[in-house]
Amino acid sequence: MAPPVLTLADLQLSLIAPELWMTLLTCIVLILDFACPKLSKPKLAYLSMAGMGLITLQLVGYAIEGKAGISFGGMFVLDPLALFFKIFILLSTILMTLASIDALEKIPHFRGEYYFLLLFSALGMMFMVSANDFLSLFITLEFSTFGFYILVAYLRDDLKSNEAAIKFFILGALAAAMIAYGVSLVYGETGTVLFQEIVAMRPEATVGLMIGLLFIFIGVSYKLGAVPFHTWVPDVYQGAPTTVTAYLSVVPKAATFGIFLRVVLGTFLDLKADWQWMIVAIAVLSMTYGNITAIAQKNMKRLLAYSGIAQIGTVLIGLAAGTKMGSDAILFYLLTYLFANIGAFIVVIIFQNLTDKDDIEDLAGLNRRSPLMAFAMLLFLLSLAGVPPLAGFIGKVYVLAAAVNQGLIFLVAVALINMVISFYYYLIVVKKIYAVEPTETTPIQISSHLKIALYVSIAGVLLLGIWPKPFIEASVAATSVFTDLVLR
Amino acid sequence: MLDDYILSIILFAPFVGASILFFVSNKHRDLVHAIAVTFSGIPLIVSGYLLYIFDIEKGGFQFQQQTVWSESLGISFFLGVDGIGTPMVLASALLMFCGIFVSWNVQDRLKEFYINLLVLGSATMGVYMSLDLFFLFFFYELSVIPMYLFLTMWGRHTKGYTDMKGILNMEGKEKRDSVNFFLNFNKNSKEYAAMKLTLYLSLGAVVSLLGILLVYVETGLNTFNIIEIAEKGKLPGNIREIAFFLIFIGFAPIAAIFPFHSWSPVGYAAAPPAASMMHAGVLKKLGQFTIIRICFYLFPVETAEWMPVIAIIAVINIFYGAFVAFLQKDTKFVIGYSSVAHMGYIFLGMASLNMISLSGAVFFLYADAMAMGLLFALSGFIYYQSHTMDIGSLGGLVHKMPFVTCCFVVGAAASFGIPGGMNFVGELMVFIGAWEVYPVQTILAAIAVVVTWAYYFRMTRTMFFGDLNPKMAHLRDATRWFERVPLILLVFFTLFFGIFPGHFISVIEKGVSPILSRINAASTGSAIAQQVDRGIANGGDS
Repeated sequence: MAPPVLTLADLQLSLIAPELWMTLLTCIVLILDFACPKLSKPKLAYLSMAGMGLITLQLVGYAIEGKAGISFGGMFVLDPLALFFKIFILLSTILMTLASIDALEKIPHFRGEYYFLLLFSALGMMFMVSANDFLSLFITLEFSTFGFYILVAYLRDDLKSNEAAIKFFILGALAAAMIAYGVSLVYGETGTVLFQEIVAMRPEATVGLMIGLLFIFIGVSYKLGAVPFHTWVPDVYQGAPTTVTAYLSVVPKAATFGIFLRVVLGTFLDLKADWQWMIVAIAVLSMTYGNITAIAQKNMKRLLAYSGIAQIGTVLIGLAAGTKMGSDAILFYLLTYLFANIGAFIVVIIFQNLTDKDDIEDLAGLNRRSPLMAFAMLLFLLSLAGVPPLAGFIGKVYVLAAAVNQGLIFLVAVALINMVISFYYYLIVVKKIYAVEPTETTPIQISSHLKIALYVSIAGVLLLGIWPKPFIEASVAATSVFTDLVLR
Repeated sequence: MLDDYILSIILFAPFVGASILFFVSNKHRDLVHAIAVTFSGIPLIVSGYLLYIFDIEKGGFQFQQQTVWSESLGISFFLGVDGIGTPMVLASALLMFCGIFVSWNVQDRLKEFYINLLVLGSATMGVYMSLDLFFLFFFYELSVIPMYLFLTMWGRHTKGYTDMKGILNMEGKEKRDSVNFFLNFNKNSKEYAAMKLTLYLSLGAVVSLLGILLVYVETGLNTFNIIEIAEKGKLPGNIREIAFFLIFIGFAPIAAIFPFHSWSPVGYAAAPPAASMMHAGVLKKLGQFTIIRICFYLFPVETAEWMPVIAIIAVINIFYGAFVAFLQKDTKFVIGYSSVAHMGYIFLGMASLNMISLSGAVFFLYADAMAMGLLFALSGFIYYQSHTMDIGSLGGLVHKMPFVTCCFVVGAAASFGIPGGMNFVGELMVFIGAWEVYPVQTILAAIAVVVTWAYYFRMTRTMFFGDLNPKMAHLRDATRWFERVPLILLVFFTLFFGIFPGHFISVIEKGVSPILSRINAASTGSAIAQQVDRGIANGGDS
């Protein structure tokens, strides 16, 4: 039998056109940086933002058109879920590129590659959310992490940055090995790596398959920064350049949720009774550990790291619910988390650009030095805590409603108690910012780039809290891929 | 036409004011004052008009307006007031308006102070007019945070309070409780007060959130609309029981019910006067209000079952609050604990579940708001000049501030229930109603009134009469117009509705009767009673 001939038409290149454009943009930025050393680096940032803006428009066009399809022998899928996450990734990359410009001007070398690496990681994640089998899942997970390994070590003369990179890399390698092992077990049980084929087989919950899934979950929890693979999070967040930390704290996690949803809900929904407890355990441990440890933190970046672990635990509640409503809630929650968390980091970035300090103690009296920054930080922290009328409140209620719907009362009770614990440490920071008198009183000037980024985040946090309807609708539309699966 | 949007106007005017204030600099104090007064004045005038045009014949939920907020989650922005909500909206608007004047002299970050106050007032009114569980919770939770900022930014460190054990222990001995043990705060600091208040109320809020989510999910109607859930919602018995408990226990702490009361006097003592006024006046009443609105309305069977327990807790509240208030040396603590005691009377009225006592309880909600507002405003005024709240170190203030003394006597008299004040009417109604159901508790509660008289008399005498403390010679009376406006307003409302409570009570009865007929119908289980109930809910006459 002659092997089937693969023609260019079979590949349906239009499905991966956004990724191709992105690749081109990445290359152009890299080459420009090498070829024209005189070019001022912010121009590279403007170029990449403009490029990503155009690609976002193309993706929005796809979403309106309802473009969907499977290509590359089932390895690549474009559907509303993938489109949602691609737009998410690109918009947040644009936001972070904007917020990075000023911080980078303080680094003496390698200013151009930064933008290249950011684009490169974004490209990896765009592929990742479209992965439709276990092999491409593994490859794209690694692909997107490569850029981050370098970015974390970007301050090469800084000991903390190096330490962070080494921790990040070693644990990353370990997690990758676990995922690879889990995938091999799943392959051994089912005989295929393609998600569709696994769904069609309706596999039984054999021991091998469950152990395989357990390994995959643990490996993925590294990417999410959830317990039990959370140990890198605080050190990396503290050591990495703050702009990288901000990006790392949101975008790769969201993208990982994109693929995780596809594996857990799209592929193994029938085995829900068997994997639900794993997700519940990860969620409970992450929330409790993250929140309790956050109380003791003295450094703002570490505090946000631990609060991030807890936030990811909260998102996992939606996954544990294992319904369409749960996945809607996850998507919406990630949007709220994007603006609140990146926003909080932008405040830290501004502060650090000026003072090179990032301890909570240093933020004391911020209200006297910059009312805008103080107010923004107040909004972001309260949104993370889940206080109306801010975005995080709606996200939390949404996620919890989905879990109550599935009768996960215990999980919801843990989440609610954790919400109160998180109030404590967020409010301590608020107190420092507003109620303590500053030791230094020079007003803080905010550059226009960071000001725009800050306003965008504030607008996001308020808009998602006060008028979330369009965003909820977007989430519901994106998870329409699960509708028939959930009904089954 | 305007009447259709009347609730939105009341609710959003302060929000608009707060948004405008963001763009005004603190350097223009006059402008900041003007904006704050305007945007708190609008809701006051409109809510006064609301009470005036509230249709007593029609009853039920009036001035409804509904905007779909999210179809997929079944949330709509649904406002409407009944006979219970209308007076409380007025009380919130009035205290917010008075709070603006009371904090006229705030030097530090005046604009931020007013923004906080406007958001707080608006959120409170939002709870009183929400007919959607989601938005009710939304506004409730929103009202917790401004208080934290008030306490940490403009609060004062307290001198500490004396609790029941204080008589036995040596004075000045450091006592620790759970909050300062775990969180390592100095017990007398404002940070401690702020954190304690916020954590208590947030913990309550999340517990009730679980109850609300249970109701939302288990009815299967995909709606948060209270009226729809009440009419169509069928819940299994055990879920109803759990939801009732969660919602009750969640909302009761803000009403300072007995074991969960300790945040309140500390919080009030540390807060700036305007914040104490708002919190003791109307925020605290959110507890009883939400219990009536959700628990009584949605779970009539469980309510009837559990109210005897509440009646006993109410008596504990009354006695505990009264005796501890008696021991305090700080004016604000006395008022704070007396407010804890008053909550007991209200709970007793609620527990009796008959027309006169429940109306009395609601009337008491409003009356206590006025009295607390007046007393906290006055103690704030005195503190602003004397920098002490210690009763012993004040004295003979009547020689320096006759006007303030006069107002304080009216407030204290209203608070301990002298005829002519509003509290008297409320207390009397509660007692008459409760006598039929819980005679023992009523007698005990009536005895506790004597204690209330005692500590108010003692406080008023020591602070205002006798010889003037020479250290207090620099004090002056409330002579400027912005100092007098809030006092005159509050005194006027206290006396006016105390002497002419008729219209007010008939408004309240319209709000109370559908709830009572639901409870009666549920306990007798008769279909006829249910029809009567529907008739009332749909605007028929009882």
